[in-house]
Amino acid sequence: MYDVCIVGSGAGGAPVAYELSNAGFSVVVLEKGKYYKEEDFSKDELAISRRDMYSPKLEDEYHIIKERTQDGSIEVYDGREYSWSFWNGSMVGGSSNLMSGYFYRLKPNDFRLKSTYGEIKGANVVDWPISYEELEPFYTKVEDVIGVSGEVKAHSFLEPRSTSKFPYTALQENGVTKWFDKACNELKFESIPIPRAILPIDALKRGACSYSNFCGSYPCATGAKGSSRAALLQKCKAKIITEAFVYQLISDKSKITQVKYFDSSGKSHTIKAKIFILAAQPIETSRLLLNSKNSFFPNGLANNNNQVGKNLIFSAGGTGKGRFYFENLSKNEQETLMQRGLFFNRSLQQWYEFEAEGKKYKGGTIDFLFEHSNIISRAMREIYDDKGNITWGRDLERKIKKTLTTSRVLTFEVFNDWLPTNECFVSVDESKKDKYGVNVGVINLYGHPHDLKVGEFLAKKATEVLEKMGAKEISMSISSSPPPNLVAGGCRFGENPKTSVLDKNCKSHELENLYITDASFMPTGGSVPYTWTIYANSFRVAKHLLGVMMEA
Amino acid sequence: MIELKNYAISRRLLLKSGFLTIALSIFSRGELFAEVVPLETIALLQEDLFPLAKELESRSDLYMLIILSHSKIAKKDKKFIRNGVKWLNEEALSEYKKIYTKLSSKQRQSLLQKISKERWGEHFIYTILQYTLESLLGDPIYGINKNQKGWEWLEHKSGYPRPKSAFL
Repeated sequence: MYDVCIVGSGAGGAPVAYELSNAGFSVVVLEKGKYYKEEDFSKDELAISRRDMYSPKLEDEYHIIKERTQDGSIEVYDGREYSWSFWNGSMVGGSSNLMSGYFYRLKPNDFRLKSTYGEIKGANVVDWPISYEELEPFYTKVEDVIGVSGEVKAHSFLEPRSTSKFPYTALQENGVTKWFDKACNELKFESIPIPRAILPIDALKRGACSYSNFCGSYPCATGAKGSSRAALLQKCKAKIITEAFVYQLISDKSKITQVKYFDSSGKSHTIKAKIFILAAQPIETSRLLLNSKNSFFPNGLANNNNQVGKNLIFSAGGTGKGRFYFENLSKNEQETLMQRGLFFNRSLQQWYEFEAEGKKYKGGTIDFLFEHSNIISRAMREIYDDKGNITWGRDLERKIKKTLTTSRVLTFEVFNDWLPTNECFVSVDESKKDKYGVNVGVINLYGHPHDLKVGEFLAKKATEVLEKMGAKEISMSISSSPPPNLVAGGCRFGENPKTSVLDKNCKSHELENLYITDASFMPTGGSVPYTWTIYANSFRVAKHLLGVMMEA
Repeated sequence: MIELKNYAISRRLLLKSGFLTIALSIFSRGELFAEVVPLETIALLQEDLFPLAKELESRSDLYMLIILSHSKIAKKDKKFIRNGVKWLNEEALSEYKKIYTKLSSKQRQSLLQKISKERWGEHFIYTILQYTLESLLGDPIYGINKNQKGWEWLEHKSGYPRPKSAFL
C-alpha cells in the first residue's frame, strides 16, 4: 500500500508528489499519457500542431458538448463529429509541458469577488475560503521551485509581494516591445512586462531557454519551461505509472480504498493507498467521480450534495490582432519586426477593475504576443480572401508569399472572469462509451452575457494600442466559446458542504482521504491564466498533507 | 504516371493506402463509365490548386499516402478524401463526359470554380490545399519539402530541435 496515490501528473498533481516523496513518503502517480523527456521533443509542426500528437484520438476518447445559447435552446455536439477536443496534453507533466508559461498571480480581490463587487444575476459568484495572503507564500515558492523570470514593475493592480524581485531576470525581448511601450506611454496606459515560467539561464538543473521561436503548444527541449515534469517529477522519487487510465475509485462510506486503472493493453489494475489525490484536469476529475458511484454515493463519489461537476468555468474573453506591413516601415523597423525567437512579453492590467455608470466592475488582463510561428497554420489562414471566398492557384501562392514575408501580426488575448452558473457543468452520458467502455463526459456550456460585455470593453482598449502603434487590419473577436486549455471549477472549495465539494484544504467534505488539487477547486477563476495558482495551491495542500501525515 | 521508386514512402504504406493506387470505378447513370487511379486525380488536383508545390518538389501526392494511413486522421476524414475524388470525377463526367485527368487545364479550373460553390466542393478544395501546404511546409523527415525548398520560399527558419523521426 502506498502512502499517497495521485491521479494525474500536471501542475495540480506534481507539487504534492514532489513534496511528499521528498519528505520520505511513498507516492505513486498514475498518468494516462506516455513519459516523454527533453530528448524526445522537437518542433515538428505536423506532429504537434496538425496531428495533436499529445492528445487522444477523438474517435477513441471524446466528449459530448451541450451548448446553451442565449435564447435558452441547447445545441448538442458529438466531439468526434465536430472535431471538438477538450484534451490538453496526455503526457507526464500534462498540459504544463505545452503551456506558454505566461505566469500571473491572482489579485487579492479575486479571492473575495462577491463581497467586493456584489452579486450578478444568474451567476454563482462566491468568495474563496482562503485569502490572497494565505496563498502568497506559495506563489513565492513557485517562483523559486518552478522558476519564474521577469521584472516586477509597479502598476495600478500589482499584487502584494513578499519579495521585491523575481528570482530570474526577464527573457530577451523583441524590439517591437519598444513601439508598444511608446504607444502605451502616449495613451497613458500602463505597459507591464509579463512574467514567464521560463528560465533565461541554466538553473535548477535545467537548461536555459534556446529562443527556438516555437514555445506555446510545444514541449520544451531544453527544460527551460517550468513544466511539472521538468521542474518537479524529474526531481523526486515518486513512482510514475504511465499509460494508466484511471476509470474508477472504490470507496466505503468514509474513505477511498483503491483506484482501478487500465494499462495500454486494456488490462485492469488496482492501487491501494492511504490518501488519494485527484488532478486529472477539471472535466476528467469530475467525470471520474461521477463514474465511481456506489451504494454509499449513489450520485457519484463525494456527490451526496450534487455539487460534483457544477460551476465549471473557463477563461472568458477572446482575441484580436493587427498587422504591420513593410510598406509602412523603414528598413531597420522591418528587421526589428521580423526578429525571430525573442519574446514580446507585454500585457495590460490597468482595467483589472473598472468603473462604468458609477459602479465598480471586475475587468481583466490583456496579453500581447506575436502570431504563432507555425508556418503551415499561417499559410492556411490565407486560403480565404477578404470577401470570404476560397482561393487557389497562383493567386493564393502570391497572397501567401506577400503576407508571410512582408508583414507580421501582433495578436492580443483577453482574459476575464467566466462567471460560474448553474448552466455550465460536467455530467456523464451513460449511453455513450469511450474506447475503455467508460461513460463519456458531457460538457454543458454556458457563457454569462456579462462576460462578453467585460471582454469587449477590454478588447477595445487593446485595439487602441494597436492603432497607436500603426497596425492595420485591426480586428477583435470576443465570444463565449470556451478555451479548452483554460478550464477550472467543477469541484469548488468552500466552507459549506451544501454548496461546495471540497473544504479549504481541498479535502472532500464527504470522504476523509480524498483531495483534489487540479483547477477543479477554483470557485472563480480570476482574470489570468490559471497555472501559477494551480501550482501554488497544490504546494499549499501538500504542506497541509505533510502535517496530517506526520501527525499520523 | 506516378513514379514511386524515388520517394521515401514505404511499400507497407503504399499497400495500406490501396485505395489511392488501385483503380476506382466511376459510374454515370448507373453504368460503368471509367476507371480512375485516385492518386492520379489527387496529384493533378494538387497541381491545379497549388502549382508551386510540384515545382518545389514537395511530393504532395505521396504525402497523401501518409495522410490516408495516418493513425491520428479520423476515419471520417479519410473517407471524405475518398468520396471527394469520386465526386470530382462524377462532376467531370457530368460536365464534360471525361474524367478529371482527361480534362484540359481550362476545363479543370472551370470545374473547380463550379464545385467551390457547393459545400462539399469547397470543403474538398480546402482539404486538399491543407495537405498540399503541409507537404510544402512540413518537416522533410516526412519525405516532403525536399531540401527545405518550401521553407526557403517563405524565408522560414524551422524551430530546433528538428524531429528525429516522422510521427505517423
